[in-house]
Amino acid sequence: MRKFLLASISLLTVVTLLAACGPKPTEAPTEAPAELSVEDCPKPEVFCVGLVTDVGKIDDKSFNQSTWEGVKKAEAELGALVQYIETTDSKDYAKNIAQFADAGFDVIVTVGFALGEATQEAGRQYPDVKFIGVDQFQAPGSEVPNVVGLIFPEDQSGFLAGALAALMSESGKVGAVLGTDAVPPVWRFGEGYRAGAHYINPDIEVTTVYHNDVGFDKTFTDPEWGKTTALSMIDKGVDVIFGAGGKTGNGALLGCAERGVMAIGVDDDQYYTVPEAQKVLLTSAMKLLTPGTFELIKMAKEGNFPGGGNYVGAVGLAPYHEFEDKIPAEVKAKIEEIDQALKDGTLETGVPPAKPE
Amino acid sequence: MDWRRFGFIALIILVLIGVVVMVGATQVSPTVIVVSMLATTISVATPLTLGALSGIYCERAGVVNIGIEGMMLASAFFGWFGAIYLNTILKVAPMPSLLLGVVAAILTGGLLGLLHAVLSVTYKVDQIIGGTVINILAIGITGFLNRQLFFEKGSIFGGEVPHAPGVLPRFHIPLLADLPLVGRVFEQQPIAVSAVVLVLVTHFVLFYTRWGLRTRAVGEHPRAADTVGINVARMRYANVIIGGLIAGLAGAYFTLESVPSFEPLMTNGRGFISLAAMIFGNWSPFGAWASALVFGAAQALQINLQFFREQIPPQWAFLQQAYIVGLVPYLLTMVILTGIIGKTTPPAADGQPYEK
Repeated sequence: MRKFLLASISLLTVVTLLAACGPKPTEAPTEAPAELSVEDCPKPEVFCVGLVTDVGKIDDKSFNQSTWEGVKKAEAELGALVQYIETTDSKDYAKNIAQFADAGFDVIVTVGFALGEATQEAGRQYPDVKFIGVDQFQAPGSEVPNVVGLIFPEDQSGFLAGALAALMSESGKVGAVLGTDAVPPVWRFGEGYRAGAHYINPDIEVTTVYHNDVGFDKTFTDPEWGKTTALSMIDKGVDVIFGAGGKTGNGALLGCAERGVMAIGVDDDQYYTVPEAQKVLLTSAMKLLTPGTFELIKMAKEGNFPGGGNYVGAVGLAPYHEFEDKIPAEVKAKIEEIDQALKDGTLETGVPPAKPE
Repeated sequence: MDWRRFGFIALIILVLIGVVVMVGATQVSPTVIVVSMLATTISVATPLTLGALSGIYCERAGVVNIGIEGMMLASAFFGWFGAIYLNTILKVAPMPSLLLGVVAAILTGGLLGLLHAVLSVTYKVDQIIGGTVINILAIGITGFLNRQLFFEKGSIFGGEVPHAPGVLPRFHIPLLADLPLVGRVFEQQPIAVSAVVLVLVTHFVLFYTRWGLRTRAVGEHPRAADTVGINVARMRYANVIIGGLIAGLAGAYFTLESVPSFEPLMTNGRGFISLAAMIFGNWSPFGAWASALVFGAAQALQINLQFFREQIPPQWAFLQQAYIVGLVPYLLTMVILTGIIGKTTPPAADGQPYEK
């Protein structure tokens, strides 16, 4: 009896783990049109696009998901066969990319700064496959001809958020709660925010707090820390907070919602992704991942893939939603004016591409 | 009680708060800084205190429990799921949903405690392995169910994460919360308050009741306890399950008291830090509580030094590196473990299965 019990407990454990781990093969048929399957990918007439996530889920209502939507748009409009692999451990980046490359996929999208090295490595190893590295800046001199970095001017997006925060703040104190500054896009969001706030009001106090004290895999998934940090800022008189760092930043938005303090989201229109914060959300500093990803896939299909360099995607502020009537018209006009000036290059944020050593 | 240890730990907290007051006083009034530091310290310390108490029940009875992390994670998920299910599908009002969610979280912890007891007491599996199994199991189950229940098209919520019923409300602790200046520190949420109450209860139970004496006996010398007629297995079962229930309450903190959402892996190693707090506090409830507060204060320091980054005097410029400040709790742990403030002594039979 004892042995039986022990055996069934271990069996149950193993089965649960197996069920929970790894890419789920059962999902494959639902993603692809019925007549195509992964076995057809090596054929030249079948256009296959694979996506490898950073550690995190495809449906994270943020980064991975927005990129995936760009890939799905390619499925709908270009007739591509699309699939994704969720990375569960950062040691598996190369393995997951190779899985698509070996299956004969034409384009592989890797999501996130952390996959940069693995993507370049795979680019050298599979010269016939086209790679799109989201948030992976291709440094001059180390480009790989079949890899393109999809990058965004986060500093401009942050600059707009900072300018809006400074225009709306009554206490003269604005803050930002961010993921780790070891990830350049996060740092550029933070510094762009600072520059934007100071552009409006040179005397404003801007505080940026980064979640640097934990590993890469945890810095973006710690809403409790984000909320605690936001509350600590609010206690000291900060009245607009920019939450930029995946789920950690979402925690900051929730903290703002609890205290009724204005908040600014990041990456997507967070009015839809953090509904609890709708009442306090001014706007979101967006990176338009979906169109950027789709454009690059389209270029790959049409044969004008801009490999061996970077492709700069678009950024901008999300709609004001519930603040549409509360934000004065002159503030909106000012933001419009700054947005225009940033786009045509007459205004520069002064933020370097990466944190100086 | 070990007053020297308690005093030393309190001193560390005062120093950490003092550093921030010194740095930030030109910018923000000292009272505001102290209140905000204390508020952060208490909220960060809440799950750590509960986790450490969970460890104390288990280890005082002689069962090492490194599965607290997994127990917290699983309870955080099931508590959250329970609350949302009641609120969205069964249309229960938000408040009862949240409270029943807490109950679900506690029961989840208790169930995993039972699993740990079965493995380590009945089957005498290596207790470290048993704990690891729980940790891995919790990561797998919560990740899988989170996906299946909330994101699959055909799931009960139709592929959309529904509106959460919110978080447990803050309430006024009478008298204390009416104090001028520092009153805000005492506007607390129920789990934070119950953590403190459980510290007192655990201290009383362990050192002033027959149950506590028996618990400690089976943890120190199970054979002796057995010869005087104490049922070692039953005591261990009971205490490990109690430990699981408390870890469950710690899990509820994450999704029902702090933020109204669940993220895979959201406990982020806090279960292991709780174990450090337990050791740091020498397996005593007050010691563990104080240590959890040290970790909380270290977190508050980390946040506040970044907040006051521009006010840090140039000769202390190294403090601007968040990495260095983030190390504080771990450095402290190592210092304490070297025995500088007195030796820490685990229960003598900690981790050893009892063979009759």
